[in-house]
Amino acid sequence: MTETAIIHPSKEAGSAVDIVRVRKDFGSAVGVADVSLTIRNGEFVTLLGPSGCGKSTLLGMIAGFVTPTAGKIVVDGADITDLEPYRRDIGMVFQSYALFPHMNVHDNIAFGLRMRKLPAAQVEKEVARAIAMMKLEGFEARRVRQLSGGQQQRVALARAIVIRPKVLLLDEPLSALDKNLRAQMQVELSELHRKTGLTTIFVTHDQGEALSLSDRIVVMNKGAVQQVAAPIELYRQPANGFVASFIGEINALPPGRCELKDGTASLVLPGVGPLVFPTAPATGFAPGRQVRAFLRPEHVRPVLAGEAGPNVVTGKVEAHIYQGSHTITRVVVEGIGLVETRVTGAEIVASAPVGASLGLAFDLSEAVLLDTAD
Amino acid sequence: MIQKRPFFITFLAPAVLTAVILAAAIFEVLQYSVREFVPGSLNVGGLTLENFARINRPIYWWVLADTFFISLLTAVFSLLASYPVAYALVRAKKDWVRSALVSLSITPLFTGEIVRTFSWMLTLGTDGFINSMLRKLGLIDMPIQLMYTRFGVVVALVQFSMPVMIILLATAIAHVDRDCERAAANLGASPSAVFWRVTLPLTLPGILSGIVVVFAWTMSAFSTPQLIGGGKILMISNLAYLQGFSVLNLPFAATLSLIALVCALGSLALMKTITGRIERRLAVN
Repeated sequence: MTETAIIHPSKEAGSAVDIVRVRKDFGSAVGVADVSLTIRNGEFVTLLGPSGCGKSTLLGMIAGFVTPTAGKIVVDGADITDLEPYRRDIGMVFQSYALFPHMNVHDNIAFGLRMRKLPAAQVEKEVARAIAMMKLEGFEARRVRQLSGGQQQRVALARAIVIRPKVLLLDEPLSALDKNLRAQMQVELSELHRKTGLTTIFVTHDQGEALSLSDRIVVMNKGAVQQVAAPIELYRQPANGFVASFIGEINALPPGRCELKDGTASLVLPGVGPLVFPTAPATGFAPGRQVRAFLRPEHVRPVLAGEAGPNVVTGKVEAHIYQGSHTITRVVVEGIGLVETRVTGAEIVASAPVGASLGLAFDLSEAVLLDTAD
Repeated sequence: MIQKRPFFITFLAPAVLTAVILAAAIFEVLQYSVREFVPGSLNVGGLTLENFARINRPIYWWVLADTFFISLLTAVFSLLASYPVAYALVRAKKDWVRSALVSLSITPLFTGEIVRTFSWMLTLGTDGFINSMLRKLGLIDMPIQLMYTRFGVVVALVQFSMPVMIILLATAIAHVDRDCERAAANLGASPSAVFWRVTLPLTLPGILSGIVVVFAWTMSAFSTPQLIGGGKILMISNLAYLQGFSVLNLPFAATLSLIALVCALGSLALMKTITGRIERRLAVN
């Protein structure tokens, strides 16, 4: 596929979707609580959160299948809050794909164009282009039931992009695929986004998919937005305890007090002692403040028991979780609790058997400091 | 290890017994159909094929054709009348609407055929509900002939078959993937386009089985054409009844019954083939 196949040449920067204080109540339960969000043209934004967090409800409101209780949704400058779904020009890939079982691949893809009453010749041209883009050549006459999961996925994508939607909505489209196919479809999705430049809103509960695909991630929980940030920022600087523990693995240290003495910043944990910051943390640190520190397992390094040094604590190995390329070792440290450390290879399984004592060196340069209330 | 099922035979016994009795009865009909008719006697004579030869007369062919025609009309009109009801029954948002529709469409099943046919006679008669209403409204001077017409018979048969049709259609409609309808709307299909392009094709298996069942069921209708047709509209069961219990020609009645049975099974098989082909082509299942 050459670059001439671009469906939307990159538009000038601007907002494609504006979600303004949108709210959805289900009886007395809150589905989505006053969410505001601006999505830029051509952006790939992921709504991430556990099931029941409101991400699918929010997507349903953008597509028009769910009516908001309050607030408004603006797409391309037009208020579409009360517009019927079929007038919205928003493409959507459903979790179940929702392909029409009584039509073949070609007719599935042509459906949206035919509904727009395009001349037959143009329908054929557009369908052929979408089929080429999704690498579905030769499958035109197949029944959708005869396709594999990955092929169905591509038909669903072709059907959604062929109408040149203003926004593309993806509702957990990878969840029905097996692991290898999922990885491959992630690459294809990201390629598709690059080629088409379509503003894309992707819903998932899988943080791996979110981190690898998105320009920005919207983390949701209990109907409310927890944090909106680029993947790297989200991983390194989570806004609260929920985001910290939802994105990747993280060790939550018990609450401690920030101290600044002779230019050295440290975190004093009761019953453990001071942990020293190599350089004063940029955010969250204030002398005397009570904070909770969050530390990724890759920033906890196992050291030989008895080896002294700054930020070294000793605990007892509880378990090893061997994962091929790396091993996660769980260590119980008095005064802190369970700490996970992550090292490459499997040597640690032999050198520090379960029950042995193991020293852990905390690298606080990447620690995230949050209010004890968060 | 194969699990022993000690009660298996016991549980099967009633079904086997019923099947054996039915087979014996059909064999008896078969046996009667090849016997000689002895006028003035209920006893039958020797073996003969004359009963089958007798079928080959315009009057009998006409009754057979009419039976097919009435069954087909009933199936089609029953479908047209039942689809909206079934659709509303499945899709109504309010619980009480759904329960009301369920009771309204199922209750007729529990009133006997005779009761229902009698109600239709009261409705369709020259002094019946329809005619007196039309007369009071000043729309007609003379009563319209509704009783003893094919129209009247079909109307009553349609109403008679609707509960079954509604159940079959409702099942099919309930199985339609709502996401497919949402996807169609998302792709720009208006609500009516969603119905014609997605919902209706996806319920085609239900529509076809509804037509087959109602058709076959109507083929064997007896009391409705008997009472509302009043001898002017004869379906094959009425003809068999006439021969068996008025003329007392049991062998010929048996032959007619046998032909009715063969026709019903034959048309079922034919329709099954056709619908199977359509379903495969649509690949809905």
